[in-house]
Amino acid sequence: MGLSSIGTANEEGVQLCIFDLRRGQREGQELDKILYFFPADLPLSSQLSVIGLSEGLITFTRIFSPDAACEVIEAERHSHVFYEAEPDIWMVMIVAKSKEAEAIWRIDALREVLKEIHSLFVMFHGCIRTLLDKEPGGGLTRAHLYPFVMDYLRDFLFGKKLQLPSFRDCLKERRTVQMLTVGREAAIEVQTLVRILESSAGNMPCFSLILFQDLLVSTTLSPEDTINMFTYAVLRLTPLALFSGAKSWSYLRKGNSSSHVSTGSTLFSTGSVLEQFYGSRDASPAGDNRYHVTRPLQHDKWFKGKDGFLVTDIWGGDIGSLNVTTPTVWLQQTEERMYLCAYQYKSLTLILLIPLSSILNGDQGVSIVKQQLLENASLKILKVEEKLSKGWGGENAYHVSGYRYLLVNGNRDISRASPPAKVTTLAKESLLALNKLREEVDAEKNRAKWDNPGREKDLEVCIRVKNNAWAIACITGGKELYMVLEKANETLLYASDAVEKFSNRYCNGAFSLD
Amino acid sequence: MSGKASSSQASIGGLGSGSVSHVFIQYPPLRCNIPGSRGFYYDDGNKLLLSPTSNQVFSWKTAPFSPNAAPNIDSITEGPICSIRFSLDEKLIAVQRSNTSIQFFHRETGETFTHRCKSESESILGFFWTDCPSCDIVVVKTSGLDLYAYDHALKSLALVETKKMTVSWYVYTHESRLVLLASGMQCKTFHGFQLSSVGIIRLPKFEMVMAKPEANSKPVLASEDVYIVTVYGRIYCLQVDRVAMVLHSYRFYRDAIIQQGSLPIYSHKVAVNSRAPISAPLPVLFRGFPRSDSFTSRPGTKESESLEASDSNDNEAIIYGDGWTFLVPDLICDIANKRLWKIHLDLEAISASSSEVPSVLEFLQRRKLEANKAKQLCLAITRTMILERRPINMVAKAMDVLVTSYALSLKTGSYFKGIKTERTPSSVPNVSGPGQGEDVNTGRTDGLGKSVQQESASRVNSVSVGRSSNYSSETEDSSSFEPLKISSNDAQFDSGKVDTGARSSATGNPLNASVSEQQESQLTSPAISPDEMYRFVFAPAEEEMIGEPSYLVSIILEFFRSANLEKVKVNPNLYVLTVQLLARSEQYAELGLFVINKIIEPSKEVALQLLESGRQNFQIRKLGSDMLRQVSLHQDYVLLLVQDGYYLEALRYARKHKVTTIRPSLFLEAAMTSNDSQHLAAVLRFFSDFIPGFHSTSDFSTYYHILNEMNSSSVVA
Repeated sequence: MGLSSIGTANEEGVQLCIFDLRRGQREGQELDKILYFFPADLPLSSQLSVIGLSEGLITFTRIFSPDAACEVIEAERHSHVFYEAEPDIWMVMIVAKSKEAEAIWRIDALREVLKEIHSLFVMFHGCIRTLLDKEPGGGLTRAHLYPFVMDYLRDFLFGKKLQLPSFRDCLKERRTVQMLTVGREAAIEVQTLVRILESSAGNMPCFSLILFQDLLVSTTLSPEDTINMFTYAVLRLTPLALFSGAKSWSYLRKGNSSSHVSTGSTLFSTGSVLEQFYGSRDASPAGDNRYHVTRPLQHDKWFKGKDGFLVTDIWGGDIGSLNVTTPTVWLQQTEERMYLCAYQYKSLTLILLIPLSSILNGDQGVSIVKQQLLENASLKILKVEEKLSKGWGGENAYHVSGYRYLLVNGNRDISRASPPAKVTTLAKESLLALNKLREEVDAEKNRAKWDNPGREKDLEVCIRVKNNAWAIACITGGKELYMVLEKANETLLYASDAVEKFSNRYCNGAFSLD
Repeated sequence: MSGKASSSQASIGGLGSGSVSHVFIQYPPLRCNIPGSRGFYYDDGNKLLLSPTSNQVFSWKTAPFSPNAAPNIDSITEGPICSIRFSLDEKLIAVQRSNTSIQFFHRETGETFTHRCKSESESILGFFWTDCPSCDIVVVKTSGLDLYAYDHALKSLALVETKKMTVSWYVYTHESRLVLLASGMQCKTFHGFQLSSVGIIRLPKFEMVMAKPEANSKPVLASEDVYIVTVYGRIYCLQVDRVAMVLHSYRFYRDAIIQQGSLPIYSHKVAVNSRAPISAPLPVLFRGFPRSDSFTSRPGTKESESLEASDSNDNEAIIYGDGWTFLVPDLICDIANKRLWKIHLDLEAISASSSEVPSVLEFLQRRKLEANKAKQLCLAITRTMILERRPINMVAKAMDVLVTSYALSLKTGSYFKGIKTERTPSSVPNVSGPGQGEDVNTGRTDGLGKSVQQESASRVNSVSVGRSSNYSSETEDSSSFEPLKISSNDAQFDSGKVDTGARSSATGNPLNASVSEQQESQLTSPAISPDEMYRFVFAPAEEEMIGEPSYLVSIILEFFRSANLEKVKVNPNLYVLTVQLLARSEQYAELGLFVINKIIEPSKEVALQLLESGRQNFQIRKLGSDMLRQVSLHQDYVLLLVQDGYYLEALRYARKHKVTTIRPSLFLEAAMTSNDSQHLAAVLRFFSDFIPGFHSTSDFSTYYHILNEMNSSSVVA
């Protein structure tokens, strides 16, 4: 097969492409399909051959499964992860299965990366298809996608190497929200604050999101919008994200972003291919060109202003004069564009989203809302921050000694896990075992989804690993619990007792069925 | 008076219009005209109005007040009378005959005995009965206090204790159980004792502030210028400084006396703005009327209409006169006309006159005499405030007031003692009428005309109200009396029994009026329970408010906050209402957080509502089913699982939690409809194993038959 030949061009690297099946169907126009390709300096012929293969596989599998074509192809040395982001718009990620043992992937985790890229893109730029319809040539779409995905991938850059979520991240769940647990009293204060915040814009229907550190405290957005906004906030807005170089304990920001700029340029080098492709024939790919492209994921572009509001010149304007254009995002729930106002006080980040349509005089109107917000909510913000800080147990707050766990509430897209620092203490063997177990569970879940749509499958697996650890997965009523118990007793009874205890203590007994 | 008052009336919405005076006296008065009367005495310990003749004592009960009360008549021997007081059990009458002797009469047996000063150098200034455990009567002499116990057997007084000190004069009120003893050249050095049922507390010696008119003259403080005031169980002292024309106030604590603030006085400036002939200022309203809060800033009297109409034949038409003496707590003795008037607070008028709704509520919540009326007013005001969509922070304050008051009433037990009142459909009587123009504008703190409060048993008729002049403060701002106002969060006005814990001030123990009296008057309480809040405020508000329920949710949230602070349990129905409101406006994210963070506390009602509201939203439904399990409603949870098709999980759960009340056929039917013969067999097997005799039931045979058919058909296929 031609799979291996593709790999040779980028032996240990990652390839990521976005293409449109509806384009370039005529011979000689194949290049039209390509909307994005990483690495961009790969010869176009190689790019086309990757996309051609993917397209072939999709077409072939559609014969058997028209609604859901292929999800993954496992070749000898590569895994191809497929994701149909929008009808006929596909994202494919190809990762090498290196002999170097670190390159062991969980396919669903990789697919979540693709989903994340796409939904963030949609939040800022709208659907890809809409962009394509706007300018059928594809230049506009490419000019948006290229810098966006590049900025996104920079977060995975370590040195010169992209580090995608591997088996070491098996106790993490992308595309979920991590929440701060608050007491009733604080929760009431928070909800009161939410109401004050949203009343700052008068009678306009707005939405808000409140984060403490990198954890969600409150949201009035739909689940999907919440995930996107939360992800963006953690990536770029929270205090830890703002002060780049600060150590982060959220898996969303892995690398040390300050190193990105210098090292990134070598990997994301520009070339003739890019000029031709990503819209700029006479300038750098991401710079100013014939398209006005905002780069919301650009690093080190957000600052905290004197008034506590976060400002950026990403959307235009001059940061020095503080005369900047207010950022906007697109919400799936309301299908409407919203102004994004972010305010920060100590560890508290408040995001207020106001519909564009409800503010007539643009930035001026926004600044009135901001003023109103300060007047109405300042005291309450102080109070809430104080309450939350008091109750905050630090980055190891959700550590449960003896357990390394991941708890996912699929019903609410919430997850909670052992702190990363604690997970690193696990033996590689244990992590590999759990990663394997999760792959199996993923497969089981997917099968159940097809067999019996709308039904939740209950599942419980305990595996004794070679190093005498237990790898456990429990699924019930849409909630999932994964854990690794090292240095544990050898009996199965012990393992299930441990689950029962954990479940009763931390999950309201959701997993204690027997 | 007016701009402010009238505008705020309108804003309260529908509460009494046009009435601007806050106080009225109700016709008819108690007529106490006794031939041969030698004046009036007020026994504040027993709340008796006494009128002695040469050989008899007429006594009227003034609490509860009735204009038709008939006097009791007791015989005493003839002789001079300095003061009269009945013992607290009303068995003895003590008559001070001179400054050396007090005579006692036993009311039933008629026995008498006389108590005399032993030494020639001292003289009796007065006496009072006490409910202090160690003694029964306290005699105040120029040389100090003598505490005596009454010996029933010997019919005499036995000396219990003597407190030696020089005393120039003293003031005492039974309400405060506090006696203040003045001494020193200027009579401004005070010793104080509180003799209550819990014992005797000696207050630290303190000095009152006196301005000097000139370098060498030293004014002497007179007893007429010092008043003990009890406001909501807290004890204050007011002192008139005639030189500086300032009214000083002091607050008493167990271990300190703290000066609270001063007000300027403008002598002889009682502002009588009335146009109507029959009206009068109530100069003593503030002090003679302990429960009137300082924010009722413009006291005045209002005549009832009937008064004007009916009294033409005698001179009752002249209501106010020099002969008016104000008695604690709410009586006016008209000495000239021998009448006793009861003062009423016009709650509606007061409520209507202030736009500061939280303060009005705070005031109403303290009403103990007309508790039911106050309560109904509070409910109406709160409801109106919500319907008018007043600013949330104002409603929040109102919620704080109501919840704090309820929590307090729970603590003191008064809420349950109170008679449960039924809802009156419209508790908003219109108090406007012909009398409304007859309002009187007097300063708020005016006129400390001579009151009998501090020496209640002294000769009332010897006191000239006019002479001591009426003082009127013209300060407009009610906040000037802030020091006397009680913050609602402060638990100090709780009875003395409750340890008030740490206070920000250095003084730890506020001195309170005696416990017994407080409880006496707490028979009913205007406190509003969370249940009543739901039924009479939130539920009606929800019905009447149309459109966006977001405002109401904000208000309910504020109520939760207040309730949480006071650890008051919220009615589950209010949680149900909250779920409905949030679901109706499709604020599912918020609803989820409300449930997850337990702002909405789990209960069966809430769980069922979540399931109901979750028809449109899967996440919410999930929260409902989780809550069922959480509150251990096992049967409901199992039924829900079966209903949703999770019959195997349901069986597992039923087995674990020993739910045996659900018919096996439900599970069997669910298994059958899933068309999975293995599952049906498993369910059948389950019941065969765990229910004895299941084999012989019709369920078994029916489904066994079905199972066989399923199997045979699948074999054929």
